[in-house]
Amino acid sequence: MIPIRIFFTKTGVARYISHLDVNRMMQRALKRAELPVWYTEGFNPHMYLTFALPLSLGQESLCESMDLRLNEPVPPEEVQCRLQAALPDGFSVTGVFPPQEKYAAIAAAVYRCELYTEQPETLAADWERFAALPEILTEKKTKRGSSTVDLRPLLSDVKREQGEEALTLTVRLPAGSVSNINPSLILEAFAAHTDQVFYSRILRTGVFTSDGKPFR
Amino acid sequence: MEENLSRLLARVQKPARYTGGELNQTVKDKAAVDCRFAFCFPDTYEIGMSHLGMKILYDALNRMDGVWCERVFAPAEDMETAMREEGVPLYGLESYDPLTDFDMIGFTLQYELSYTNLLNMLDLGGIPVFQKDRGEGLRGIVIAGGPCAVNPEPLADFVDLFNIGEGEYMLPEVVELYRKAKRAGLSRSEFLKQAAQIEGIYVPSLYTAEYHADGTISAFIPHEGAPARVKKRIVRELDEAPYPPSFPVPFIETVHDRVILEVMRGCIRGCRFCQAGFLYRPLREKSPKRLCEQAKSLCETTGYEEISLSSLSTSDFSGLPELLRDLLPYTAERKINLALPSLRVDNFSEELLEQIQSVRKSGLTFAPEAGTQRLRDVINKNVTEDEVLRSMEIAFAGGHTGVKLYFMMGLPTETSEDIAGIIELAQKVVDLYYHMPQKPKGKGVQVSVSVSTFVPKPFTPFQWEPQDTMEMIRRKQAELVSHNKSKKISVHYHESKVSVLEGILARGDRRLGKAIYTAWQKGCKMDGWSDRFRFDLWTDALAECGLDPAFYANRCRSYEEILPWDFIDIGVDKAFLMRENEKAKKAETTPHCRAKCAGCGANRLKGEGVSCF
Repeated sequence: MIPIRIFFTKTGVARYISHLDVNRMMQRALKRAELPVWYTEGFNPHMYLTFALPLSLGQESLCESMDLRLNEPVPPEEVQCRLQAALPDGFSVTGVFPPQEKYAAIAAAVYRCELYTEQPETLAADWERFAALPEILTEKKTKRGSSTVDLRPLLSDVKREQGEEALTLTVRLPAGSVSNINPSLILEAFAAHTDQVFYSRILRTGVFTSDGKPFR
Repeated sequence: MEENLSRLLARVQKPARYTGGELNQTVKDKAAVDCRFAFCFPDTYEIGMSHLGMKILYDALNRMDGVWCERVFAPAEDMETAMREEGVPLYGLESYDPLTDFDMIGFTLQYELSYTNLLNMLDLGGIPVFQKDRGEGLRGIVIAGGPCAVNPEPLADFVDLFNIGEGEYMLPEVVELYRKAKRAGLSRSEFLKQAAQIEGIYVPSLYTAEYHADGTISAFIPHEGAPARVKKRIVRELDEAPYPPSFPVPFIETVHDRVILEVMRGCIRGCRFCQAGFLYRPLREKSPKRLCEQAKSLCETTGYEEISLSSLSTSDFSGLPELLRDLLPYTAERKINLALPSLRVDNFSEELLEQIQSVRKSGLTFAPEAGTQRLRDVINKNVTEDEVLRSMEIAFAGGHTGVKLYFMMGLPTETSEDIAGIIELAQKVVDLYYHMPQKPKGKGVQVSVSVSTFVPKPFTPFQWEPQDTMEMIRRKQAELVSHNKSKKISVHYHESKVSVLEGILARGDRRLGKAIYTAWQKGCKMDGWSDRFRFDLWTDALAECGLDPAFYANRCRSYEEILPWDFIDIGVDKAFLMRENEKAKKAETTPHCRAKCAGCGANRLKGEGVSCF
């Protein structure tokens, strides 16, 4: 069995596909690609796919990854090529590597959030005031209930660009199994702070380990 | 995708229902097509995407140069609210263009409880709901087909033309006629007049109905050269008919999310309650060779992990042993599961069980339909208790510990004894399990009894019979539950109100159109969903229109009465249905078609003088 890690993008209409549905879609794509994927040997044999850092419904990403095992070696370029041909629009394979880091090594992710609104300059001014608040306490729901987090420390190095239709914020947030912050949490807190109505698109642009290197 | 749609999708559950973009969808260049067809399924995406007929016709239409068929489904409540608020009309999933951009808008009628959704979808798409309000422009012809179209009358006010029977060849013919009419600049009524001359096409606006004082029909009159009888179309050779080489593969889980391989059309059995058993006559089978090709093509293009061998009674398919022999090595190697729904207890074997569970073990369901031999003879089910028990024994010996048994209540001639018989039969199955030395060790048995309410349907021997009233159904349901003393048996039944409405719509006439419209105006839609079904609003709507539910559902009709669907010729003679009804009253059975031809007349659809076998 040969473990491999496949990196892919999920953009456009594909952002409306949930994490579980991506899993099933990938199994079918791997089947169409006729790759020698290893199956579990139980009562109900199935492909064993794992995904790092599940993406929320509605968000896009340039850096998704999934791990699987092959029964026999296949050159990475061939895996990429065959899988790509079997994928629907919105998914693009960007690389195939032997896994280098464990999922536990993931520490941060960077998101680019576009906030579409009628007056981006007003929204930008509101953001400035929001980010300068002494603390931003917000409720974070988890599987085990909910907890209160202060978002303020996360906003210290947010990059801001102001366009004609949108205000774009680039944020680096803790990610992984220890601490994970969804960018929509920040946008929801901001939406409650501003009078401006905005519609957002969120793109995950990178996943990093604790020493700041891209997750591989 | 347009930004306004993105805003809507951010607000709703399961947005992937509304985005299209699935693998194997068909996208064409708008500039290169002259007929755009919106294929509408009047229910949610998950239901509609499970439907084989839609896949077949989507493929058949998209094979035509210059024609582009797209898919449209009924939005769920949250999406509909958002669309109405933002002024986004109902659109085709492939192009996001509104229904008003389409030349033809086709609906498939799979069950009566979807009728209000048809009205609602037209309205959401900006198409006038009433046929008479659509003017003389040609664009936006509303078509309907599918099994419920065999009694098209309740929808006569809303539909421009109906397709009666199988659509593989009929629908492309209608589309071709439309393209000619478009080039010639014909009006809607001129086109409809010509369309009525195509075999299988019914144009309701070209007919008028007259009534006796008691509300029954006195005359049904065609106008402008429309045929007095509309004859059902069939595909004579299934091997030669178009079958999709690929299915659009949904991203979200749908009800039937797998390769559906239709092995045959029609059924040899002649169960007297079963509308499909008469509608899809005569029996036509595909060859195992063709089926293997279709299965492989579909597996390779979809990546599905399961194939369902589909038909009304798959164990009656004569090519089954050969098909399984040829297909199993292929599916086993690729870890593809083979599922055989619709097995009969009288030809279920150990070998068959072994074959179907060679990859994964799936649940087993059997349908004795009635609790006593007498009632099974009335409905011509032609299975005995011994056969039921023998099948269960095979299933248990094969390691199954749970079986599902389907029954109906409210069948003609039913007595308390028949209701008690349902639980008695289930108890015998439980007892059988515990008496088997080779039963799976350390496991209990679970028998799930699912009981539906019988609804008499057009073109069955019971089309004249009264349906049980709601009170009768409820009393019988309570009686059924009271008989069950075992924890190993679980009993499930359906809400009786739903069956009552289904019964009214199934045997309705064109006067019901007003009530459907009124019910929809009051807010009725998604009537097939128990959480959305508003029987109180339907009752009000019928009353406001001066219609008596009992006239449609609970009345015994005479053989002499002109039934609203009599002008449709499905190939099965009315005299045959009468003979079968008489035999039912005497609990006499009719052998299946392969054993002895019962002379129903459907063989003539295959060509004059051709026999079925």
